[in-house]
Amino acid sequence: MSYVQIEHLSKSFHGQHVLQQLDLAIEKGELVTLLGPSGCGKSTLLRILSGLTASDTGMIYIDGKNVTDVSPKNRQIGMVFQSYALFPNLTVSQNIAFGLEMNKISKTEIQLRVQEMIELVGLVGKEQAYPRELSGGQQQRVALARSLVTRPKVLLLDEPLSALDAQIRKNLQKQLRMIQRELNMTTVLVTHDQEEAMAVSDRIYIMNGGRIVQHGSPQEIYTQPRSEFVARFIGNYNVLTAEQLKRITPNLSLPAVERFAIRPETFREQPLAGEDICLTGNIAQVTMLGNITRYELNIGDIPVLVDTLHLSFEQEQIGTTKTLYVSPKDVIPLYDTIA
Amino acid sequence: MKRISLPSLSFALVMLYLFLPVAATILYSLATEWNSTVLPEGLTGKWFAELYADPRFLQAFGRSFLLSFLTTVVAVVIIVPAVFSIIVYAPRMERLVQILVMLTYAVPGVIMAVGLIRTYSGNGIPMVIITAGAYLVGLLPYLYQGTRNSLLAMQARSLMEAAELLGASHWQAFVRIIVPNIMSGIFVSSLLSFSILFGEFVLINILVGGRYETLQMYLYAKLSSSGHVASAITVTYFVLMAIITGLVVKFSRRSFTRKEVP
Repeated sequence: MSYVQIEHLSKSFHGQHVLQQLDLAIEKGELVTLLGPSGCGKSTLLRILSGLTASDTGMIYIDGKNVTDVSPKNRQIGMVFQSYALFPNLTVSQNIAFGLEMNKISKTEIQLRVQEMIELVGLVGKEQAYPRELSGGQQQRVALARSLVTRPKVLLLDEPLSALDAQIRKNLQKQLRMIQRELNMTTVLVTHDQEEAMAVSDRIYIMNGGRIVQHGSPQEIYTQPRSEFVARFIGNYNVLTAEQLKRITPNLSLPAVERFAIRPETFREQPLAGEDICLTGNIAQVTMLGNITRYELNIGDIPVLVDTLHLSFEQEQIGTTKTLYVSPKDVIPLYDTIA
Repeated sequence: MKRISLPSLSFALVMLYLFLPVAATILYSLATEWNSTVLPEGLTGKWFAELYADPRFLQAFGRSFLLSFLTTVVAVVIIVPAVFSIIVYAPRMERLVQILVMLTYAVPGVIMAVGLIRTYSGNGIPMVIITAGAYLVGLLPYLYQGTRNSLLAMQARSLMEAAELLGASHWQAFVRIIVPNIMSGIFVSSLLSFSILFGEFVLINILVGGRYETLQMYLYAKLSSSGHVASAITVTYFVLMAIITGLVVKFSRRSFTRKEVP
């Protein structure tokens, strides 16, 4: 049995299925991300895991124990909320110490562990500050320290970085991952940001419509999407029907599926191997995205997105013809039709 | 020459309209005689001295204070936890509660008083207790709104959940986290409630009358005997309300949740 095991979990709100017969397994020390669009049920799953919301059916096991009916305060779960939920009337130290006080830890031990956490999250000097006196990033770190100080079995993070600006978010992603690895903390992160999921996760569970549609390592998820939904959600994949693909690559032998996906960055300007597919089209749109130049190419009447590294000083003009090559192994058949 | 703008002029006129009667009342409470002259003939503090030496005034003031204070305290103890439970645990009921709250405005004081007399008169419960009970219902909108706003501003539900996940019981989370954060809101609503009850006349006069003379009833009685003393009572009332308003302003600014995060 895995460290965290969820079996056949279902939840409905007012007759609407939010989670449907969901199974999930997390190993000790793993950082698993629940990734999906808004309303897919990922936050509900997190709340059920924490005990804040009861499931309709299903079982939850943590460290071999059935915790399905255990109250939140006895589940030994730490949680960082999207809004941080810091206690406004308590200082940074008091916020972090709160959980220890509730668990009747001795004062000396509390002082020691609070100081340890403050150092771990880099908030030395802010011990006596109130939440309102801290920046968003600092508040997030207090929330993290507060949830870690009680040494929970599982740490739950509900979109903890979504309210922060890009630069701080990236720094905190690194810091979060570093702390998680240092403490070997089993962690479940909920996010709708695929880049964030890729950057910090050991494994990703992609959710849609209350179901898990695919799971695997970030590498597997990104390079081998099984459905159109995953291909479109995880990146800017070109999703083509078998008929469209046949029209632009008549000689390519294709498996019998309805749709195929091609990553925009797999197109090259020079062929690498003899079997590379050659495609020629007209440039309909050029977008400069910093280090990437994105072309919208019309191959016949089929629009295809192409990302190339932004190496040259001059952009190619709209209307000009461009020839590109793609390896047949980068044409990914989409087997699942779950959208 | 600097021209006076229309908004400034309008503001000045409104201020004049509001404060002229107050100024006149203050002046009248300090006037020796003010019958046939534009300004008082002389100034004196004797009306205040006379007022504060009257044990009937002090008793009436004390009764008003006691009735308003105790009713407000009981209302806070009953209404605040109820509003908290609704906002945090049963937000879907909020609409129903809002309708109930609005209903308290719909019943005019006189009709309420007649209804209360017909229902409770002669059943052994002192009418002053019945009045306090009616006051408690009347305070519902003020305490409901103030508590609700404070709870929503502080995201009480998330805070309760965070505290519970950290090992706190419902009670510990409520006392240690929720109460300190809504204290200023409760205090402001309480002061407002107190000042409303302190000035209430219709219900207490009809339900209890002279058996429990409050400040407003004393003022009403004094109106026919001495305008100067009546003005002195009004000025005393104004001063008390000014102190309460000052406290309301001070505490409504002192909130943990309303300050800007840098």
